[in-house]
Amino acid sequence: MSFQLATKIALFCGLFLIFNKIPALNEKPGIYVNTPKIQDQESLKESINRGEIVYNDFCIQCHLPNGKGVQGVFPPLANSDWLIKKRTESIHSVKFGLQGEITVNGIKYNNLMPPMGLLDLEIADVMNYIMNSWGNTQDKIVTVEEVKAIEN
Amino acid sequence: MKIKLLLFLLTGCFVSCAQVKQNDIEIRPSKSSYAFETVFSNVGIPWGLAWLPDGSMLVGDKNGEITLVTKTNEITISTGFDDLYVRGQGGLLDILPHPNYENNKWIYFAYASNQGEGDGGNTKIVRAQIEENKLIRIEELYKASPNSTKGVHFGSRMVIDKQGYLYFTIGDRGNRDENPQDITRDGGKIYRIKDDGSIPDDNPFVNEAGAKTAIYSYGHRNQQGMDIHPVTQEVWTHEHGPKGGDEINITKKGANYGWPVITYGVNYSGTTITEKTQKEGMEQPLYYWTPSIAPSGMAFVTGDKYPDWKGHLLVGSLKFQYLELLKLKNNQVNERLKIAEDIGRLRTVKMGPDGYVYLGVEGKGIVKIIPN
Repeated sequence: MSFQLATKIALFCGLFLIFNKIPALNEKPGIYVNTPKIQDQESLKESINRGEIVYNDFCIQCHLPNGKGVQGVFPPLANSDWLIKKRTESIHSVKFGLQGEITVNGIKYNNLMPPMGLLDLEIADVMNYIMNSWGNTQDKIVTVEEVKAIEN
Repeated sequence: MKIKLLLFLLTGCFVSCAQVKQNDIEIRPSKSSYAFETVFSNVGIPWGLAWLPDGSMLVGDKNGEITLVTKTNEITISTGFDDLYVRGQGGLLDILPHPNYENNKWIYFAYASNQGEGDGGNTKIVRAQIEENKLIRIEELYKASPNSTKGVHFGSRMVIDKQGYLYFTIGDRGNRDENPQDITRDGGKIYRIKDDGSIPDDNPFVNEAGAKTAIYSYGHRNQQGMDIHPVTQEVWTHEHGPKGGDEINITKKGANYGWPVITYGVNYSGTTITEKTQKEGMEQPLYYWTPSIAPSGMAFVTGDKYPDWKGHLLVGSLKFQYLELLKLKNNQVNERLKIAEDIGRLRTVKMGPDGYVYLGVEGKGIVKIIPN
């Protein structure tokens, strides 16, 4: 084993550490891209801030701080095709829980997420946080009315 | 020299990035073969699981439903818990018939309740009796306060020892800075009360001003597994760490288990909670897991159905979806075996009265392990 290899590994570990310790690099890039109106932008921003608190209380244990989940067990929220394609189903799953097989980014998940007992406002907020974190962007804000309209 | 440097760098990387416990006992797949039989499936999150002396099985769903499963029937038991608080990890939690059920008919329930001042809920312990498929004579034994809208860490596991003391757990309710280290506050504690709810005279903090006198030990995070050792009669618990640092502890009167002053875990984000893993006056865990397995459910194996497992400890893993057998020698873990791999999120582990191990698996139901 050469010294060069050791140096490369050291550099890699160092970079990995730095990358992980700077929140701006791995947590919330890309918020508010293409947000149309300033007023909407403000309410979306407030909703996302509130949603982060909800996420850290109710979701983080399984879906993890980086939204990547655990492959095959807890589906990812970051860059999730399911989340992008199934807006209504996503809100529905937070409101009423989700059980049975789903496929996310080509991987099957068959587990149970119980309903969290959140208020409609909390659901809107946490959806806005999830849909605008870890590289996700969604300029169409989830409103309380939208959540309220989704029934079991 | 080069190799040493490389090893040093790699070790450093593992410690800081991946949080892997050094020199841990490796978990190995069990060589024995077992069949798994689902005996009841009409339940989402089977948290409470218990048997009555006639052999019928009580299954509690976190959503509040209780089913009495007899040889021939599945009977819904109406609870009348009007204050049930189903939010986040809260809901209907543990169920425990009194060891002397035959004579007194009491069944103990732990659930999240919104009773009392303030928004939100906190853990409550009641006892009640079943008559005509409903709970009657519901008596409140303990209600933690204050209520909180936080969705986490209700604890809830219960055991009754041979002296008739009821031990139960309440997690820190997501308020680690205020609750676990303060004996005047609920949360982050193991409690001990008499089976009628009164406080034993020799509880450790009965003479401390302002203390919650039901407290038996403190400095806990969230304990979702509890059982009595079949030989020593000590009360064992495990608790969820944050990221890493799930613990097994033997409950000692008045002891401080350290959360969040000492822990082997870090925040979910990877940032540090405390630099300390030990401190004088605070207990060290009997065993800890890093990375976390997210332990739920705990049972010592008794009886003769599983000769290799007898006297050892079973713990469910929510995260890795297997049952872990921790083989014990002189109260220390010296072997770890993986059983029921990929069974699903394991919430509850119990020894049935027939000597078989029963698992409560989320989304699946109650699963019996039958040795081949």
